[in-house]
Amino acid sequence: MYLSAGEFSAILPLLIPALGACLLPLAALDKDQATVKWVRGAMFLMALFSLAGGFLYVARLWASGAQPTYGPLQMDRLGQFACIFTYVAAALAVLQLWDHLHQEGWVKGETLSLLLFSATGMVLFASSSNLILLFLGLELLSIPLYALTATVRTRPQAFEGGMKYFLTGAVAASCFLMGSVLLYGVTGSMELSTIGQFIGAARPDPLVLVGTALVLGGFLFKISAVPFHQWTPDVYEAAPHPITAFMSVATKAAAVLALLRVLGAGVPAPGALRIQSAVAVVAILTLVLGNLAALAQENIKRMLAYSSISHAGYLLLGVVAGTAEAYTGIIFYLAAYLAMNMGAFGLLSCFGLVGDRTTFDDVKGLGWKRPDLAVLATLCMFSLAGIPPLAGFYGKYMIFKELILQGHVGMAVAGVLASLVSVYYYLRLPVALFLDKRSEKAEREDAERPGFRAPLAGAALLVCGFLVVVMGLFPGTLYKGFAKRVVEDAFHIVR
Amino acid sequence: MITPWLNSHLLTFLVFAPFILGAVLLLFPERQAPLAKLLAILGATGLLAIAAAHLFRMQPGAAGALFVERSYWFTAVGVPVEYHLSLDGLNFWLVILTVFLVPLTMLGTWNSLTSRAGSAFALFLMLESGMLGALVAQDLLLFYLFWEAMLLPMYFLIGVWGGAERKYAATKFMLFTLAGSLLWLVALLYTAGHAGSFSPEVMAQAAARMPVKAQNLLFLTFALAFAVKVPLFPLHTWLPDAHTEAPTAGSVILAGVLLKLGSYGFLRFAIPIFPGSAVHYAGTLAALSTVAIIYGALVAMMQTDIKKLVAYSSVSHMGFVMLGIASFTVVGTQGAMLQMLNHGISTGALFLLVGMIYDRAHTRRIADFGGVALRMPVFTAFFLIVTLSSIGLPLTNGFTGEFLILNGTWLSGFGWGRATACFATLGVLLSAAYMLWMVKRVFWGPENPDPESGTHHLHADLTPREIAVMLPLVVLIFWMGIHPQTFLGHSETQVSRALVQAQAPAARTPVFDAEVK
Repeated sequence: MYLSAGEFSAILPLLIPALGACLLPLAALDKDQATVKWVRGAMFLMALFSLAGGFLYVARLWASGAQPTYGPLQMDRLGQFACIFTYVAAALAVLQLWDHLHQEGWVKGETLSLLLFSATGMVLFASSSNLILLFLGLELLSIPLYALTATVRTRPQAFEGGMKYFLTGAVAASCFLMGSVLLYGVTGSMELSTIGQFIGAARPDPLVLVGTALVLGGFLFKISAVPFHQWTPDVYEAAPHPITAFMSVATKAAAVLALLRVLGAGVPAPGALRIQSAVAVVAILTLVLGNLAALAQENIKRMLAYSSISHAGYLLLGVVAGTAEAYTGIIFYLAAYLAMNMGAFGLLSCFGLVGDRTTFDDVKGLGWKRPDLAVLATLCMFSLAGIPPLAGFYGKYMIFKELILQGHVGMAVAGVLASLVSVYYYLRLPVALFLDKRSEKAEREDAERPGFRAPLAGAALLVCGFLVVVMGLFPGTLYKGFAKRVVEDAFHIVR
Repeated sequence: MITPWLNSHLLTFLVFAPFILGAVLLLFPERQAPLAKLLAILGATGLLAIAAAHLFRMQPGAAGALFVERSYWFTAVGVPVEYHLSLDGLNFWLVILTVFLVPLTMLGTWNSLTSRAGSAFALFLMLESGMLGALVAQDLLLFYLFWEAMLLPMYFLIGVWGGAERKYAATKFMLFTLAGSLLWLVALLYTAGHAGSFSPEVMAQAAARMPVKAQNLLFLTFALAFAVKVPLFPLHTWLPDAHTEAPTAGSVILAGVLLKLGSYGFLRFAIPIFPGSAVHYAGTLAALSTVAIIYGALVAMMQTDIKKLVAYSSVSHMGFVMLGIASFTVVGTQGAMLQMLNHGISTGALFLLVGMIYDRAHTRRIADFGGVALRMPVFTAFFLIVTLSSIGLPLTNGFTGEFLILNGTWLSGFGWGRATACFATLGVLLSAAYMLWMVKRVFWGPENPDPESGTHHLHADLTPREIAVMLPLVVLIFWMGIHPQTFLGHSETQVSRALVQAQAPAARTPVFDAEVK
C-alpha cells in the first residue's frame, strides 16, 4: 500500500500513541522482582513519550497550517484540536496515575496501554467523516474505558462499575450502529456530507429521522446527557480517579467535537435546526437534572460526575445556539473544562484518597495541611462554578452570549440559574477543605496510614490550576489564536 | 523611574498591588503570621500614602475624569472588552474611603484573630483589590469581573474566621449575591450584544433604541444585582447573618465599602444606561427604601446582640442612600453620595468598637452588659460620639447626609416626594431610639451585678493602638458634619449631568439651596 506524504501525516498523530500502546504490554512481561521498579518507571515514561510524540507532531502540523486528510480521516484543525486536547488530558492522567496506582497498590502496564488506545480512539472518533470510521472510533475509545474502569481489580466496586459501563455502552453502541445502518440503507452512503443532504431535505424520509435519532443517542451517551446519563455516577465512582478525570474530560470532548463536525460540516439548515431543537430539550433536562442531583451527593466523585453531566448541558446549549461563535465558545469551554476537571480529580490523587474515602468528610480540614494543593483545587472548583475571572466563566459567558444573541434568552436564563445552583455544591469542597475541622476519626486514620507523597499528581494539579488562571486572565489569546481558528478552518458550511 | 510610571498607571497600581502582596503573603507559613500581618499593614498603609499623595493634588470639582487608563483587552464573541479604569467625581471619595479603611481596620483588629491571622490579612488585601477594581472599572464586563472577584475573599473571611454559624452565613452571602448578579449578567450580555460594546455610554445609546418594555426589564435585572448588594428590602436577609458571623474586619469592610458598591452601581451604570426606566421605577425604589429605613430600624430595636443591632441599622441607613438616589434631585443624590461615606465611617467605627468590646468580654449580648461607662470611660466616649453621628446629630456627618437626602426627597418632582420624606424622617427618630436605648442598657446605669457578665471581663480601657484607630474616624465624623463641601464638591458636576439625562420631573423650588452650595 502506498501512502502519500499528506496521507501519512494525517494518520501519524494516531499512529504514535497507538504504537506506544502496543509496545507497553511488552515491558509488562518482565516479572523479575528486582527490576520491577525500573520497569514501572520505564512504562510510565514510555506512555508519556508516545503521548508527547503525538502531541509534538500535531503541534507542528498546527503551526504549519496543514490540514491533511486520508480518505474519511480528516486531520483538519478540528482533528488536530482533538489530538492536542486528548493527549494533554491523557498525559495529565498518566501523571496522576503514577501516584494514584501506587496508593492503591495496583500498578500494571496494561492500564497505560489501554489508556493510550482509548486516546487514539477518541481522536479517531473526532476526526472521521464516515459512519464506519466513526463507529470504529467509538468502539476503540469505549472498550478500553470499560476495562480501565475495572482496572484496579482489588476493589469490589471496580468490577461492578466496569460491567455497568460495558452493558450500557454496548447498548449505546448498538443504537449508533443501528442508526448508521438505517442511514446507509436509505441514503446508500456512509459519508456524513451525503447523509447530511438527506437529513437536511425539506421532508426527509422517516427512516432517516429514526436513524439520525439513534446515532444522536450514541453521541449523547458519550457526552452523558440526560436521559443517557445513568451510567455516569456509578462508573465515575468505580474508576480510579485519574481515569475518571480522563473519561469525563476527553470522552465528552471527543463526542462533542464529533457532533460539531456532523452539524457544522455535514447537515444543511433545516435538518440542523431539527437536530438543534431536539438537543435544546436534552440540554435543559441535562442542566436541571445534573445540577439538582449533584446537590445531594456526599461523595466528591459522584458530585463531580453529576457536575460533569451538567457541563454536558452547557456544551449542548452551545450546540443549540449553533453559530460559528457558539462553536468557538464550545471549543473554549472544552479547553477550560480540561484544566478545571483534571484539577478537581487531581486533588483526590494528591491527598491519597483511595477507595471509598472520597467523601466530603474525608477531606475536611485537609486544606490547612496542604494549602498549596487545596488552593489550586479551590481555583478549579470556582472555575467549574463559572466564577470570574477564571477560565470556566468565559466558557459559559461565550455560550450564553451567543444564545442571547440568537434570541434564546429563556435558555440562557435557565443556564444561568443552573449555574447558580452549581455554586452551592462546588463550594462544598472549599468549605470542607478550609472551613471544617478535621474529625477525630480522620485524624486517627491519618496517623495510622503511611505518609503519602504525590509529586507527579501535584505537578499535574499545578499545571491545571495555572491553566485555569491564565486562560481566565487572557481569554483572548486562547479564543483568537486557537478556538476561533478551529472553527473557521475546519467548517466551511457554518451558518 | 517609579514616579512617572505611577503617574500614568496609578489606578492599575492601586488595584493590583494589594492583590499581589496578598498572594505573596498567602504563601507564608502559619508561624510567620506576625510578619505577614506586619507586611500586610505596611503595604496597606503604603497604598494609602501613595493614593493620598497622588489624589489630594487634584482640584475638587474638576469635571471629567482625573485619571484614566484605557486599552483594548480582548474580544469575546464579537464584543470588545476594554481595560478601562477611571477615577472621577463619582468614585473619588469611595476609593479614598477604601484605601483609608483597610489599614485602619487592620490596625483595629490586630489581635482579634488568633488562628491563621496571616492568611486573613492576605485575603483582606485581596478583597481591597477587588473593591478598588470594581470602583474604578468603567467597562461593564471588567466591572462585573471585579464585582464577582470581591465575593471570594469575603466568602473565606466569613467562612473561615467567622462565628459559630459562619458556614451558613458565608454560603448565604455567596448565593444571594451571585443570584442577583448572574441574572444581571444575562441582561448585561444582551445589552452589550446589541450595543457591540461594554462601554456604558455606547450601551446607553443602544438601550435608548430598544422598546420601553425591554428597557424596563433590563433595568430591573441591573437593579436586582445592585439592590442585593445595597441591600434593599426585601433582599437584605443575607446581611445580618453575614455581618454577625463575619470577624470584625470583615464586618467593617462589608459595611464600609462593599455595600456602597450597590448604590454606586445604580449611580454609575443602572441609571445612566436606562435613565427612562430608572425614572419609571423611582417610586418603587423610594417605597422599598422607605420600608427598609423603617423596617430596619424596628428590627434593630428588637435585637439582643449589639452587632446584629448595628447590622440592621445598616439596612436602615442604606435605605436612606437609596432614597436619595430615587429622589432624582441633585440635593438628594449628593446626599446619597455623602451618606455612603458617612455610613462607611460611622458603621465601620461602630463595628470596630463592637469588636473591641467583644475581644475583652467574649459576648455581644446587650443583657450581659450594664455600667460599662464606669469601667471603660474612653471607650464609652468614643462609642457615644459614633452613636450620635449614626443617629444624625447636627454637626456630625450623619446629620448632613440624612438632611440632604430628606431635603431632596421633599423637593423631588415626584408626587410621592413629600409623603416619603415624612415617613423616612420617622426612621431618623427610630434610629435615635434604638441606638440610645442600646447605649443606655450597655453603658449607663449601675454595673451588671452578675459576676459572670460581660461587664466583669472588661478589665482594661482602650489601648493606645485602639485609640489611634478611633481618632481619625472621629475627626472625620466632625469634619464631614461641619464642612461637607470637601466631600460634595467632587461629584456635583457629574451628578447634575446624570440627572439632566434622566429627565426626571423637575424638582420643586429649592428652599434650602444655601445649605447645598
